[in-house]
Amino acid sequence: MTQPTLYTLTDVCHTYTAGRQQVHSLNNVTLEIHKGEFLALAGPSGSGKTTLLNVLGLLDSPRSGSVHLQGVDTGAMSQRDQDHVRRTQMGFIFQTLNLIPVLTAFENVEYFLLRLPGSRSNVRKRVMEALDAVGLADQAGQRPMEMSGGQRQRAAVARALVKDPAVVLADEPTASLDHQNGQSVIHLMKRMNQERGVTFIFSTHDAKVLAAADRVIHMEDGRTV
Amino acid sequence: MRLFLMLQMALRHVFRSRRRSVFALLTISIGAVGLFLFMGFNGGLMNQYRANTIRARYGHGELSTKGYRGAAHARPWELWVTDARGVAERLKAIPGVRAVFPRLTFGSMLIHEETMLVAVGEGIDGVAEAAFFDQLNYVAGGDFKDRPDTIVLGKGLALGLGAKVGDTVSIYARNSRSEMNLKEVTVTGIFYTGIPAFDDGAFRCPLAVAQEVVDTRAVERFAVALTNDEGWPAFAQAAALKLPELEAVPFDVLDEVYYKHGVDFLNAQFDIIRFIILLVVFLGIFNLISMAVVERTGEIGILRANGDSRLDVALGQIMEAFTLGLLGGLLGILLGWLLTISVLSTGVPMPPAPGISRSFRILIELTAADAVHVVMLCTLTAVAGCVLPVFRATRMPIAQALRHA
Repeated sequence: MTQPTLYTLTDVCHTYTAGRQQVHSLNNVTLEIHKGEFLALAGPSGSGKTTLLNVLGLLDSPRSGSVHLQGVDTGAMSQRDQDHVRRTQMGFIFQTLNLIPVLTAFENVEYFLLRLPGSRSNVRKRVMEALDAVGLADQAGQRPMEMSGGQRQRAAVARALVKDPAVVLADEPTASLDHQNGQSVIHLMKRMNQERGVTFIFSTHDAKVLAAADRVIHMEDGRTV
Repeated sequence: MRLFLMLQMALRHVFRSRRRSVFALLTISIGAVGLFLFMGFNGGLMNQYRANTIRARYGHGELSTKGYRGAAHARPWELWVTDARGVAERLKAIPGVRAVFPRLTFGSMLIHEETMLVAVGEGIDGVAEAAFFDQLNYVAGGDFKDRPDTIVLGKGLALGLGAKVGDTVSIYARNSRSEMNLKEVTVTGIFYTGIPAFDDGAFRCPLAVAQEVVDTRAVERFAVALTNDEGWPAFAQAAALKLPELEAVPFDVLDEVYYKHGVDFLNAQFDIIRFIILLVVFLGIFNLISMAVVERTGEIGILRANGDSRLDVALGQIMEAFTLGLLGGLLGILLGWLLTISVLSTGVPMPPAPGISRSFRILIELTAADAVHVVMLCTLTAVAGCVLPVFRATRMPIAQALRHA
C-alpha cells in the first residue's frame, strides 16, 4: 500500500550568489516523498543535495516553485509557523557541527525535548530511552568534545528522534566518520525508520550507504536525474 | 519555562565555556576596576578639596545680618551683631552644629619698623578656631590660639612689612567714633593660601584685639562648623526660623571664585576623562561580546534549525551577555575594593595643590552608588555589545549560519 505523501516539490529553483556569479543550485526540481521512506540523495559535490535538504527542512527558501509539506504550502507559512514545524516535526543531523558544545549528550537531547509544548513529563525517561536506543546511555554525561565522531553523530540521531518527528533530514551524516562508525549510524537510522516509521532523507557520496536506502534520487547540476 | 530554559542555557555557557568566560570576565572586570577606582579617586579628591576649603577658612558657612554681605557700607558697625554671645548660643542649639565662631573684619594699617601697609584684619576666637580650622597653610609659625595680643600675617603682607615670626607689629585702626586706635601685637605665624589678594593684604588676630582697636563689643559674622558636611541646607532652614534677621551663606558661595569654580573646572575635566575611560571600556567589552557571538554563529544555526525562534536565540545570547556583564562588573568592584584596602590604603601621593605648600595624599573613596553605577554600566555595555551581532546572526538564513561551523 502506498504511504501518504509527505513532501510535494514542484518546479523548485534556488540560486545563490558566489562572488559576482549567480549559481543555480536547484533547477526545476519536481518530486514527491512519502511518509516512512528511507530516501538517499546522491550526487557529486555541488549537485544541489544540501540545498535540497535545506529547502525540505525550511532552512532555506526556494527562489521559485512550491514545496508542500503534508499538503501545506511552506512558502505561505510565517516564520513563526516554520519555526514551529521544525521544532515539532523535523529532526536534523548535520555532517559535523551537531551538538551544543557546552551541553552534555543528555542535555543536548533534553533541551530540544523541553522546547516542545507539553513535553515536561517523563523527560528524563524519554531522553535516556533515546540515548539508550542509539547506544549512548553510558555517555549521557559526556560533552561533545569528550565523545568520538561516531558518538556525536549518534547523539544527534537521538536528539532528532526524541521528539518523534515526521521526518529526519541528514546532510552527509557519515562523511566525517570512518567506515565502521558510518555503517553503525546508517544501521541505526535504518532501524529507527523500520521500528518507528520515521521518514529519513539523507545525502551521501558513499555507495555502501546508498545501498541501505529504499530509494535513491540522483542529482546533478541542481536537477534530479 | 521558555525563559527558564534560555537562562539555564546562558548560565551553562558562562560557567562551562571557562576559557571564553574567564577572558570575558577579566576584560569586563579590568574595565570596571579602572572606572571604579577613577570614580573613587575623583570622589576622594573632591571631598578633600571640600574639607580643605571648609577647614582652612570658611567652615561650612557663615551668618551675618541681612543686607550686610556683598555691599560696601559707610558705617558697617551699624549692621554688626551686638548680642554676639546670645546669638552664638542660639546657633549652637541648632541640631548638627559642632561649633560657632564669631568673627570681626576691619580695615586697618599695619606698621612694622619703618613700613606701613594697608591691610584687612579678621578677629577670631583663636582657641576655638584652632581646633577646627586645621588646614590653614602656614609657611612659618602657626596659630596664636589663646596667646593675647598676637597676629598671623598673609605671606605677601609679611614680606611687604619685612616681618617674621616673633616680631612686633602695630595695628592702627579707626573706631566708630572716627578715633584712631593703636595696638601692638606679636607675629605667631605666616600663612599662604595661594590667593594673592588675600595673602598680600590680610591678617588675623584674636577677636578681643579686633574689638579693642575698633572699640566695639559686637561681631561682624559667625562662621559655623557642622557635624555633617551635607547638613548645611537643614541648618540654614533652622537658622532662618530662629534668627530671621540673619542671612546664612554656605562656604561654596562664600568661596565661589576659587572653590566652586575650581570644582566646576575639575568636574568638567573629570567628565572628559571618565568619558574616555568609558569609551575604552565600552569598546573592549563590545568587541569581546561581539566576537563571542560571531564565534557561535554555527551554534545559533543549530538552535534555529531545531525550531528556536529568532527571539529565543536573541534572548539566550542577551541573558549570557547580561550575566557576563553583571559578574564582570561585580568582580571589578571586588578587585577595586581589595586594591583600595591594600596597596592603595594610604591613598595616592599628590604634589602640592594650588595655594598649598605641602604635598598630600588623595584617599580613594569608594561609594555604594559608584559601585552600582559601574556594575550597571558593565552590564548594559555587555548587553549593548551583543545586540548588533545577535541581530545579524539571527537574521542570517539558517543554512548560512550552519556553514559557520
